[in-house]
Amino acid sequence: MLTITSLQVAYGAKVVLKDISLDVSAGEILALIGPNGAGKTTLVRAVSGTTPVLSGQICVDGRELSELSTAQRAKVLAVVPQARQLGGAYSVEQAVMMGRTAYMSWLGHENERDRAAVQLALKQARLEDFAHRQIAQLSGGEQQRVLLARALAQSTPVLLLDEPTNHLDLQHQTNLLSLVRKLAREKQLAVMMAMHDLNLVSFFADKVALLVDGELKQFGTPQEVIQSGHISEAYQTPVEVVTHPETGAPIIFPKGVWGNGEEK
Amino acid sequence: MLRQRPYLLNILLLLIAFVFSIALGAVFIHPETILRILTDQLPGINIVPDWPNSFSAIILAVRLPHTVLVAMTGAALASSGAAYQGLFRNPLADPYLIGVASGAGLGAVIAMTFNWPTDLFGFYLIPVGAFIGAIVTVLLVYNMARVNGMVPLTTLILAGVAIGAFASALTSSLMLRTDLQIHRAMSFLLGGSPIAGWDPVIAALPYMVIGMGLLSLSGHMLNVLQFGEEEAKQMGLAVDRAKIFVVVTASLTTAVAVAFSGVIGFVGLIVPHIIRLLWGADYRRIIPLSIFGGGSMLLLADMLARILLAPSTLPVGIVTALAGAPFFLWILRRAKKEVFW
Repeated sequence: MLTITSLQVAYGAKVVLKDISLDVSAGEILALIGPNGAGKTTLVRAVSGTTPVLSGQICVDGRELSELSTAQRAKVLAVVPQARQLGGAYSVEQAVMMGRTAYMSWLGHENERDRAAVQLALKQARLEDFAHRQIAQLSGGEQQRVLLARALAQSTPVLLLDEPTNHLDLQHQTNLLSLVRKLAREKQLAVMMAMHDLNLVSFFADKVALLVDGELKQFGTPQEVIQSGHISEAYQTPVEVVTHPETGAPIIFPKGVWGNGEEK
Repeated sequence: MLRQRPYLLNILLLLIAFVFSIALGAVFIHPETILRILTDQLPGINIVPDWPNSFSAIILAVRLPHTVLVAMTGAALASSGAAYQGLFRNPLADPYLIGVASGAGLGAVIAMTFNWPTDLFGFYLIPVGAFIGAIVTVLLVYNMARVNGMVPLTTLILAGVAIGAFASALTSSLMLRTDLQIHRAMSFLLGGSPIAGWDPVIAALPYMVIGMGLLSLSGHMLNVLQFGEEEAKQMGLAVDRAKIFVVVTASLTTAVAVAFSGVIGFVGLIVPHIIRLLWGADYRRIIPLSIFGGGSMLLLADMLARILLAPSTLPVGIVTALAGAPFFLWILRRAKKEVFW
């Protein structure tokens, strides 16, 4: 579905992404992990068309994104931005309707199909009861679901999420990621998301890409990538990885520290 | 019905303000008489006059064109103010505060020094000069105020004030150097129509219709832009094209207002703000409602300008500044507490 081939991105003379090749199939969730500054967000921005690409290809179903117009691209690939405080006086429904921009005329006239897509997106993001609320009045977790619904309203086969669970508490993190996984499976979306929390990654992702200094160090299943050796080296922090007794998912701990934070 | 109510209310207010603006003056003319005189002008209708002949002349040659010009000016300033607010994602953008009005004023005065309007052709050149002045100013201010892709309140207002002051200084010195009549010049700078009669109305009308017509179409783009340029693009908006569209149409609209009515501040700030408070943040409604609301608001200010020191008339820009500056400070205090995009 989403295929990235030999992607290079540079800010001025500094190459920040080196020769990245990845692919995500329909119905699959790929998590991008790596220390701060490793290039996760840059990769999301490059794929979303926000950051210019130096070389390489980004294709969805064989169509190269760089050849699409802004509107065409928005029909192929939608982005859920980082959680942040949303202001403004739009209702949830209005905000989600803006996800239909690519399908509307430039005057913004909405038709039946747009309205149906918005209702579906609201339902999928479990926001039906919030449709007429002002987004500024919603909690952080609810606002993040608004951004998710807005992206879903774009009716794209590919969904990108940039650290979608930042600033959310455990309940909202789990809710959001469960929702994303459910949608990926049901709608056969190809999902790529930049993530910080490695334990959430190991529970929710099908594939993991470990980036360090703009290079792809590991690419595989959570079990393959989230291993103490890889992670300790990438994050320059000793970690311990154990296996969840029921699911088999890797669980990660900082090493050499007791539960109370004292040195061993 | 609910969706139309704000429009009906604003149109009604505008009509009331319109009639009262014609009624007020050295001689008060009863609104009913005004309506009869105006109806009499319609083709196919002939009302037996029960009013002095001079009333028709006063209304048709003086007060009606003045009122139409004031209403158009207010509409233009309010709608372009709303558009600038959407574009800069900043509730304090106003054609005056961000310096665009002063830039347009400079452009207009430069055009006047070449050809002080004595005929209709001269009139048509002034808005062109004002338009160029407005575009140059808005681009300067925008680029100076931009920090990391955002246009924060402080840098926007500071850049606007600095460039606006510079443009005003140039305008004043130009006016003193040339043989423009000082009274006309001053009233122009302070916001008061320097020219009377139908000529400025006729000259301004096409630009006004085009400018405000196009602005009314920009609501959806402005809505999407409120999420930031990056996200707007990801949602499928051709951001650069949308920005150019808004900058050009808002500057055109401001420029025409300035060219024929002088530099008038705060209308573009107050009107969209009240409309946003009352009827929400959807720019598809804010812009058309600002057109009607701006007309009413400037007519009201103009009536005050004519009454307060009667028989002499204050430049209307002084009235809007007297009312607008405290309003600006109020929003500034509120804005600190609110989180904008």
